[in-house]
Amino acid sequence: MTHFLSDSALERLREAADSPDLTGTRYRLVDKLGQGGMGGVYCVEDTELERRVALKVISVPNPDGAGTVRLLQEARIIARLEHPGIVPVHDAGVLPDGRPYYTMKLVQGRRLDEHVESVPSLSHRLRLFLRICDAVAFAHAHRVLHRDLKPANIMIGPFGEVLVMDWGLSKLLGPSPANDISIVHADSGAAAENRTMLTAHGSVVGTPGYMSPEQIRGDASLDQRSDIYSLGAILQFLISTGNAEAMAKPLSAIRVRAMAEDPEARYQTVSELSTDVAHFLDGLAVSAYPEGPMVRAWRWVLRNRTWILLLLAYMLTRALLIFFRPR
Amino acid sequence: MPNFYSAYTPLRMGAMADDTSIGGARHQFPSTHWSLIEGTRSVHAEERQRALDTLIRAYWKPVYKYIRLHWKKENEPAKDLTQEFFVRLLDKGLLDRFDPARARLRTYIRVCVDGLVMNEDKAAHRMKRGGDSVLLPLDFQSAEGELIGLPIVTEDDPEKLFAREFARSVFGIALERLRRECDEKGKGLHFELLELYDIEEGGNELTYEEVARRFAIKPTDVTNYLAYARREFRRIVLEELRAMTATEDEFRREALALLGVRL
Amino acid sequence: MNKPLLGLVLGTILGAFDGLTAWFTPAVRNALLGIVIGSTIKGLIAGVLIGFFARKVNSLALGILFGLGVGLLLAFAVAAMQPGPDHYYFAIMLPGGIVGTIIGYATQRFGVRPQTLVR
Repeated sequence: MTHFLSDSALERLREAADSPDLTGTRYRLVDKLGQGGMGGVYCVEDTELERRVALKVISVPNPDGAGTVRLLQEARIIARLEHPGIVPVHDAGVLPDGRPYYTMKLVQGRRLDEHVESVPSLSHRLRLFLRICDAVAFAHAHRVLHRDLKPANIMIGPFGEVLVMDWGLSKLLGPSPANDISIVHADSGAAAENRTMLTAHGSVVGTPGYMSPEQIRGDASLDQRSDIYSLGAILQFLISTGNAEAMAKPLSAIRVRAMAEDPEARYQTVSELSTDVAHFLDGLAVSAYPEGPMVRAWRWVLRNRTWILLLLAYMLTRALLIFFRPR
Repeated sequence: MPNFYSAYTPLRMGAMADDTSIGGARHQFPSTHWSLIEGTRSVHAEERQRALDTLIRAYWKPVYKYIRLHWKKENEPAKDLTQEFFVRLLDKGLLDRFDPARARLRTYIRVCVDGLVMNEDKAAHRMKRGGDSVLLPLDFQSAEGELIGLPIVTEDDPEKLFAREFARSVFGIALERLRRECDEKGKGLHFELLELYDIEEGGNELTYEEVARRFAIKPTDVTNYLAYARREFRRIVLEELRAMTATEDEFRREALALLGVRL
Repeated sequence: MNKPLLGLVLGTILGAFDGLTAWFTPAVRNALLGIVIGSTIKGLIAGVLIGFFARKVNSLALGILFGLGVGLLLAFAVAAMQPGPDHYYFAIMLPGGIVGTIIGYATQRFGVRPQTLVR
């Protein structure tokens, strides 16, 4: 008997064909979480540990196995980054249908671009930003570039935990550019939607709006300053979204420096950037915004105003007692 | 002339090609991408026949439905245009101008159909001319049935419309092959479960326990059989698609599009 | 620096300074040295007491109040010890209270609290 394939049947067959075949594995499919450029992410239950995890699988592996190598490299790169701000990898392998996969912590929360609407306070947003910087700095210390930092790739958990996600475009820096390992190489199958762009050199880069100029150009020798540019764009997003207060000049200067066109003019490390943001939060001077002596003095007075008021009160009292004492 | 081209059955033209001839011996594909286009240009008649067979089998229904839905032609003119298109494809060297580096085959075919329809008056004139023009035995009745019998939402974007019909065609071909292979291996029930859950309306609301009782098997068997059928379905879809595309790169892009992966 | 030590140092400095301001009162200028020593010791004692309080109680408001209280009390004691009819209660207690307040604030804000073991 022949069947007509309705549109809904078409969709069901699509899902059936794309769903990971978990037969014989320790996982049980629960739901589909999302679709990336090269594959899907699913919520699966780990029947051994009785917990739910996220499973990432390639939709269509390359016949030469390049896709498998890339996905497993991605898993290995993330696995070496054990940090509370970086989603941990649990397992990796190949499914019965021949597709490579890896599992990672199932993050339940909201993306930063959704979460920020409920955070009107600038200082709260900046503290979130500092935690993003912590995770990225850790990755850089392990010679890993993210290359796709953007609000949509940052998750805020229900208890305020900040997680940097989606290391699908990450790059492990080798001792020289020739030894760099990029997760995604030239792939003419990638189209220009809001995730990836193909450059003239054929190198897949990040997301428009958050990509550094050198990433857009497809420079082979990217370094951590490219991620710093992206962090600057995230900072700009955080301080310009919703009802955020008018941008103070030092904060604006921090953003401008982080997003400088020339990498040499940017912060050279994430630590420098986060230090400046932390100083701004604490009312201290920031390196990106040179201040005159008067401004510095006024800043010092503001930071120590309680002290100063108490001492002034004491001295005023003393002066009054001295000069208005009964003769 | 008998209608060979129903929803699932493969195209047959001229010599009755073995419907497992795609890719040569059953389930085997050459390690390099068999170029459909190169096949159509081959000096060997059998290889040419196989390539054309594949091409027409995959595209005739999408072409017909595209002409009906996008160009809003009635069924008789649409049939004529479909016939004319494939005749031109075979006789007029339309495929010779196709360059895989510039466009995917599916897009090229759609654009050629657009060109043909826009000149439909000339096409109709030519059709009336000769009793010697070859008519392809295409099962338009089944194609028309798919248009009329189901609430298909028309797509404004012609590329998306054609892509959806192409997907329907590929899935249909794959399902037919899957059914045949399951029957040959004595796994007819596996295919039935796939039909129940993924094709029939409302099937996916049934629990595995209910289905297990219906077929007098264990619920775990339902899980395993369904997984087998879906895994094989996927394999066959990708194999068939590989045969219908011109290059490896095009295959991967079409595969991702077919599986609903947004690039 | 722990809180009692911070209180001690701050109390000593402020006490000494407080004593030195007696120079602006000619009537007591002769006894300046004694005043400075006495004021310094008063500040030291106040600082230590307030510092220990800050070590035990983590509350800015309570720390300030305690400092104010200790400062006033010790200043009262000093004023009461003044010979002659004029004890200068107001002139001694008011600055003393403010100094106590300053030490109370500082010991709550700064200084290291000892680590408590979780049993």
